[in-house]
Amino acid sequence: MCAATWQRESRSSPSLSIYPLQQDENQTPMNQDQSNETEDKRHSVLVIDDSEDVHRLLQARLRQENIDLLAALDGRTGLAIAEQDSPSLILLDLDMPDMDGFEVLRQLKESSTSHDIPVIVLSGLHSPADKVVAFDLGAVDYITKPFDLMELRVRLRSALKMSDLIDMLARLAHVDGLTGLWNRAHFDDRWAASISENNRQGRPLSVALFDLDHFKSVNDTYGHPAGDAVLQVFSKLIRRECRASDIACRYGGEEFVLIMPDTTPEDGKLVCDRIRMELGALHWPAHPERKITVSIGVCGTEKGVAVTPQQWLEDTDKTLYRAKKGGRDQVIAIDVESGNLIEVAKAA
Amino acid sequence: MNDNTGDSIRIMSEFADDPDMSELVREYVGMMPRRVDQMMDAFERNERDHLIRLAHQLKGSGGGYGFPILTDAAGKLEECLLELPSNDLGEVETQLQTLVDVCSNMAA
Repeated sequence: MCAATWQRESRSSPSLSIYPLQQDENQTPMNQDQSNETEDKRHSVLVIDDSEDVHRLLQARLRQENIDLLAALDGRTGLAIAEQDSPSLILLDLDMPDMDGFEVLRQLKESSTSHDIPVIVLSGLHSPADKVVAFDLGAVDYITKPFDLMELRVRLRSALKMSDLIDMLARLAHVDGLTGLWNRAHFDDRWAASISENNRQGRPLSVALFDLDHFKSVNDTYGHPAGDAVLQVFSKLIRRECRASDIACRYGGEEFVLIMPDTTPEDGKLVCDRIRMELGALHWPAHPERKITVSIGVCGTEKGVAVTPQQWLEDTDKTLYRAKKGGRDQVIAIDVESGNLIEVAKAA
Repeated sequence: MNDNTGDSIRIMSEFADDPDMSELVREYVGMMPRRVDQMMDAFERNERDHLIRLAHQLKGSGGGYGFPILTDAAGKLEECLLELPSNDLGEVETQLQTLVDVCSNMAA
């Protein structure tokens, strides 16, 4: 991302407000009311069945449901759609030519992409043995044909609701409760993946470590609620400057980390310096006499490099340490491969 | 719901009065002559697996369109075909004829 784009996406006013949530894979829920996440969500449901009559019937009978139906007339097509579109749920027939539903189910559960998609078997096979095999393979429910419409609807809704709740819990396990940013566990997951992608595609990548200056004294002097407010406001500030593809995490205590894909260290420095300046300009009602500042280390590359996640992070930490040692309230950016200093940005 | 009209018994869908289903049922019934042709072809060519598939599909869909009698007849044919000790389809002619009669008498 070029500097001009960063400028375009940023906001000019330093004042903070509650801003609309960005719904992106990388963005966190940010204090969103989690209980509403599963309500009124439109789902896609993939039907894999070799009978066109069944597809037409489901299309008509499920018209009132809040779902979009995807159709596959054979197992191979169904697997391809599941990989590509990641539907919310799959209705799967068992008795199909070429590849039967058992094999489709087996392959769905073997794929990392489709493994977690709930599968309801919708089959004319009535024997307990078939049901046992289907559940053993990972089906969440089993409905026999001809199906009762009301039964199908409630089972479908129930499976979708359960799936949403599981998704929400999995998501919450990766979110920091105080700030609404991703937590350390999420960073650990995504950092290695970001570097793999950088290696594979040879595209820019930068990471920034933030450490709030003298934060302990804020807690000691003004109390923990004041310290918590600083952490929350700073988190909002980071999010406001983030693109949807960036991954902002609370690293621990008063430390934060921001993964910036497709961002050179020069551009990463610009973003971080904007965050630094905006934080420094904020007025704090709980302690108007006390400004809050942040030190930031940025470490990145313009191309694919062979650096381990651990090494890259250690270098970023050392860069942050230089910023601290250099007087705090500043950003230092380096190239991860050469270790060369790119720029220092600090208060005049 | 069956309706005597002269020599044949018209088999009406359970959803005949459901406005959401009437068009769909009409299309389904309209496709029955082709399904009958396909089954008769498979029977005459002694294509057991194909006949099993056709019967299986009717069994799975019939009840959903309001024709449980179709599901029953198709299910019986499928069952007999699956249990056939040989590939002599002549042994299921009765079950096939019953199914063809049901298909032929269905009405929207």
